[in-house]
Amino acid sequence: MKMKQVAFLFLIFLASQTVYSWKKDEFRACDQTPFCKRARFRKPGACTLIAHDVSISDGDLTAKLIPKAPHDQDQDQIKPLTLSVSVYQDGIMRLKIDEDPSLDPRKKRFQVADVVISEFETKKLWLQSASTEKINGDDGGLSSVVYLSDGYEAVLRHDPFEVYVREKAGNRRVVSLNSHGLFDFEQLRVKKEDEDWEERFRGHTDTRPYGPQSISFDVSFYGSDFVYGIPEHASSFALKPTRGPGVEESEPFRLFNLDVFEYHHESPFGIYGSIPFMVSHGKSGQSSGFFWLNAAEMQIDVLAKGWDAEGGILMPTEQSRIDTFWMSEAGIVDTFFFAGPGPKDVVKQYVSVTGLPAMPQLFSTGYHQCRWNYRDEEDVENVDSKFDEHDIPYDVLWLDIEHTDGKRYFTWDKMLFPHPEEMQRKLAAKGRRMVTIVDPHIKRDESFHLHKDASQRGYYIKDATGKDYDGWCWPGSSSYPDMLNPEIRSWWAEKFSYDNYVGSTPSLYIWNDMNEPSVFNGPEVTMPRDALHLGGVEHRELHNAYGYYFHMATAEGLLKRGDGKDRPFVLSRAFFAGSQRYGAVWTGDNSADWDHLRVSVPMVLTLGLTGMTFSGADVGGFFGNPEPELLVRWYQLGAYYPFFRGHAHHDTKRREPWLFGERNTALMRDAIRIRYTLLPYFYTLFREANVSGVPVVRPLWMEFPSDEAAFSNDEAFMVGNSLLVQGIYTARAKHASVYLPGKESWYDLRTGTAYKGGKVHKLEVSEESIPAFQRAGTIVPRKDRFRRSSTQMVHDPYTLVIALNSSQAAEGELYVDDGKSYDFKHGAYIHRRFVFSNGHLTSSPVGNSRFSSDCIIERVILLGFTPGAKTALVEPGNQKAEIELGPLRFGGQHAAVAVTIRKPGVRVAEDWKIKIL
Amino acid sequence: MKQRLSLMYLSFILIISSRESSSSIPSNSFIGIPPQDEDYFKREIIKCKNGSKKFTKAQLNDDFCDCPDGTDEPGTSACPLGKFYCKNIGHAPSFLYSSRVNDGICDCCDGSDEYDGKVKCPYTCHEAGKVAMESFKRKIEVYQEGVILRKVEIGLAKRAIARDKAELSGLKNEREVVEKVVHQLEGQVRKLEQEPQEKDDKMREARNEKVENEESGPDKNVDSQIEPMKASDVEKQGQAGESPSDQNEKDEHESSEGLSREELGRLVESRWTGKKSGEQVEETDPVKNDQEEGGPDAGYEESVADNSGRSSTAQYKIGVQDLKNSSDIATPSGKSWLDKIQETAQNFLQSVNLFSIPVANLDANKIRKEYNHYTAKLSDLESRISSLTEKLKFDFGKQNEFYLFYDRCFELKQDKYIYKVRPFRNATQEDGSSETQLG
Repeated sequence: MKMKQVAFLFLIFLASQTVYSWKKDEFRACDQTPFCKRARFRKPGACTLIAHDVSISDGDLTAKLIPKAPHDQDQDQIKPLTLSVSVYQDGIMRLKIDEDPSLDPRKKRFQVADVVISEFETKKLWLQSASTEKINGDDGGLSSVVYLSDGYEAVLRHDPFEVYVREKAGNRRVVSLNSHGLFDFEQLRVKKEDEDWEERFRGHTDTRPYGPQSISFDVSFYGSDFVYGIPEHASSFALKPTRGPGVEESEPFRLFNLDVFEYHHESPFGIYGSIPFMVSHGKSGQSSGFFWLNAAEMQIDVLAKGWDAEGGILMPTEQSRIDTFWMSEAGIVDTFFFAGPGPKDVVKQYVSVTGLPAMPQLFSTGYHQCRWNYRDEEDVENVDSKFDEHDIPYDVLWLDIEHTDGKRYFTWDKMLFPHPEEMQRKLAAKGRRMVTIVDPHIKRDESFHLHKDASQRGYYIKDATGKDYDGWCWPGSSSYPDMLNPEIRSWWAEKFSYDNYVGSTPSLYIWNDMNEPSVFNGPEVTMPRDALHLGGVEHRELHNAYGYYFHMATAEGLLKRGDGKDRPFVLSRAFFAGSQRYGAVWTGDNSADWDHLRVSVPMVLTLGLTGMTFSGADVGGFFGNPEPELLVRWYQLGAYYPFFRGHAHHDTKRREPWLFGERNTALMRDAIRIRYTLLPYFYTLFREANVSGVPVVRPLWMEFPSDEAAFSNDEAFMVGNSLLVQGIYTARAKHASVYLPGKESWYDLRTGTAYKGGKVHKLEVSEESIPAFQRAGTIVPRKDRFRRSSTQMVHDPYTLVIALNSSQAAEGELYVDDGKSYDFKHGAYIHRRFVFSNGHLTSSPVGNSRFSSDCIIERVILLGFTPGAKTALVEPGNQKAEIELGPLRFGGQHAAVAVTIRKPGVRVAEDWKIKIL
Repeated sequence: MKQRLSLMYLSFILIISSRESSSSIPSNSFIGIPPQDEDYFKREIIKCKNGSKKFTKAQLNDDFCDCPDGTDEPGTSACPLGKFYCKNIGHAPSFLYSSRVNDGICDCCDGSDEYDGKVKCPYTCHEAGKVAMESFKRKIEVYQEGVILRKVEIGLAKRAIARDKAELSGLKNEREVVEKVVHQLEGQVRKLEQEPQEKDDKMREARNEKVENEESGPDKNVDSQIEPMKASDVEKQGQAGESPSDQNEKDEHESSEGLSREELGRLVESRWTGKKSGEQVEETDPVKNDQEEGGPDAGYEESVADNSGRSSTAQYKIGVQDLKNSSDIATPSGKSWLDKIQETAQNFLQSVNLFSIPVANLDANKIRKEYNHYTAKLSDLESRISSLTEKLKFDFGKQNEFYLFYDRCFELKQDKYIYKVRPFRNATQEDGSSETQLG
């Protein structure tokens, strides 16, 4: 009793603390995690497995992995492992290693389901034969070589076993596995008498009934100077080494989906999502990639050069190389090697495995206004009307958890939101949408139909003893549906029908939060690893994919709701490889400080590189109150995030854009309007991502692969291939150093001033904007009319901004469809290619499009064009259009600096030519 | 009049239906221009209002933005800074942002902002005008009612102020008297304290008695009760401040392992919510609370709450006490009563003084008792004086019409919240279990 009292007093005391910080010791470090600690102690060359029985079967190159000599170091290596190498179109090699099912292992190890898309299997190349070669200098060691693609081969070295991709020409390696002999595979086995498999951490016990089952191996990237990817971490874009000479004591990069309260802005620590996909890039201008499809906790070391200097295997040194070390708690080896060679090729290869990013609805590419919480219907109406009063466009108003009846999702607080349908209709009348939150924790309340239904059907995840797992989240005692099970996903999807979700209307979309899953009283604020899913799969085996399945089920719900015609919009906090197919993600609960503004750029870049192109950070920062300057800078940067949403914690002051004085309102309005003028460009980029995986927001080196100065630049980023943007990350900044890559010039988006490429420019900075440039040689489509939301912009005319390169040429594209349905899949779109050369601007179709639009082009702006010409001739029709000097942007007092073709009046859907006379 | 209006309405409809449907260039080039500005636009060459540029008559409302300030496009959406004028005959004219022109949403009640044929806007100015007129009338009525109410309040305030001022001056007199008495008694007490050491034991006894008396006397002063509580608050705060924050974290770490699953859940949750944990625990375990209040740690909880900045409840309670106390004392103070005090005190002092050496223990106790009694009285008087003086310092409006609001509490129930506004004091929001101070 006394003890309890003390604890109780502590609760009150802690609740009274207002200053919080990341509680590092509540999360497991590598040396508190047995599999990680063990793996990190392994020495190069420790693996003695050799490939045996190498043959071609079922179109794959297969082998058995057995210890070279029985009873050596790998004592637990009692049974042979199966290995298979498959090859797929476009330079993708898949390597699988698992326990041999014919040898009756204790349990089938978990293979992540429903991530690799079914179309991928159709791209498999059926191998007919393998050639064998002797390795130079090796004493007779053999390798089996198979075809991968034009110019590339997949190689399996037998003794010791090693797998790699190489270029045929010159036998240059690209990506390899187990070149350092660190491979380790703990096979499932029977517990020995003196063994204790349980793991304890801060009062939580993991029963670990199947004992150790981890896997680790080394992966090397050749011709590589930097590696990137493996989100989600708040850290630099180019991954810093975590081990080796010159590296201070560091944790590996951890991939374990966690709800980390106030995460730190520079840490290899795992946060909300995990994508075990790494991309390398080097001076050669070439990239390669490696993806491990495994949803258990993963830890990844990036090894500093020279890490293996003592006692290791000496590798060929003529190629620069980055070695990495991958460790996972469970699962199997199911890995994909991407040969590249260009950065965009690697991304394309990755999405051909995990799927293309979904095409978003047009509205979701606009500005979103969120807060925990908009209190009631009156508050909603008030905020909505304030946007109109201040002539600031926005598309979506969001409701956080407080809109529900006691955190029972799919319900409404009857006092605060008595008329949800009418509220949504009012927004919809202005072309705006609403988003409500639906989290995976279901309140354990017998009177709550969802809980009753789920528990009666046995749809909840079970604890280690087989009872419904009972955790704690917003509603109090909660359980979690087992989203691994397709039947349960489909049950969940039904809950979004208009009949089941009472108070929902067609303009309502969904936000999935807390789906790591977050469990307030669980180990590391998540679910115990020994909780059980469908088919006895342990939570430890699929943890990182739980949020992915939840996101998937929700998106399928919205799809079903709209009879498969309305593109879903679902924002998720947790994610895994493949989440790009289901919607957007954001970088979770960031903080209102400059460091978090800064780190949002590498975080968004990393997500884009790994397929998750539709992403952004909370503008303004979730925790804390941003000073007005920070908020303005955040809007200026956030306007270029693929996903652009303002959000705030409920203890913060209101921060809607009109609350900081007229000047700041004007600055934020201007930032948001820039986004809206660029919506045609953004939408075109989303379409590019939708067909190729190439992200909307890209690292500089993706567009300038050979420009070394760009390799580790994560202050600036490219929006598509045409715009370069750099944030202002400090208070009261007067100057900014901006590196502009390439040989061509760049035009300031505001002033039209030209800057030379290939150098760092020290620029003066004003409060009005952040540095942003259009690359010479590109054409950017805009809509310069300002409206309440994207909905009213549909019929508005276009402006084309042409930035001419040194040979007075440029090109660009425009993609248009109905912005909401899937008719574009059947050709209902407009895709134009604009080319400017020899003083002629031509519009021609890309592909076969069948969509009509009454939109015209009202203005063509030419940057880098020598003024002088007075008229242009428009074909067909041979009408004349005037040429004059006009402003580059509208909505303020902007000087007439740009050569402007006035009212050419051509239709955007048609072929035409404009000749400057 | 009515005929004229409907005629205009008709011609207006004709205008809309006759324009070309596929173009958004208005057929009437003067659309969106307020009547007083029309002359400005009747020239062949027109200046942008900010002087930056000139444009031709043909460029007026040609759906292309020539003036950065929007002068040339009052009737289209081409210039972001443009303003569209709706005539709204039957109601008040208005200006719209150019972003509203032909956006598919009817903004003007005369529908003139939507002329590109994509939507048909009903003419609602007459209805809107009626509604506006009604609400304007209602406003006038409310105003008139208010004027009457105000007069009443002013009258009442006058009386109340007079009463309070009278009381204040009475109290001040009283204070003078009591101060004197206290001063005299103080002299006596000091004398007593200089008595030889041998009396110590007995004095201690006497003091104990005094304490007992104080505790048993319910009408004793409030300050002396509040004082020690405040002191303990300060102490507790001091203690909390001393422990470094990393110590706290450590403690939390240690304690979190001993927590029940629910307590741990609430603890972690409270990081995000900032405040809910404690309150919910309070709700769910009232028994435990009661025990603690009775225990030796009573008061601790409240003082912790003070640290957190969630002190609203505590402050509120004290506020209530203040009010009660002042109203207790506010019994009209007649002169006779004052004289009586003076008399009794004098008599008492004299009676004690008769025995110059040594003062009997009984008398010593009596003196102390009296001394305490009058000190308490004095501090009561002072607090009432200061609260009255404070009150009178406020600005209660030109004619002090808000004077009586000082002691009033206005309550409003809005959904699940109860809002309480105490003019010149504070405003709170309560939702059953918790209360938030509003700025």
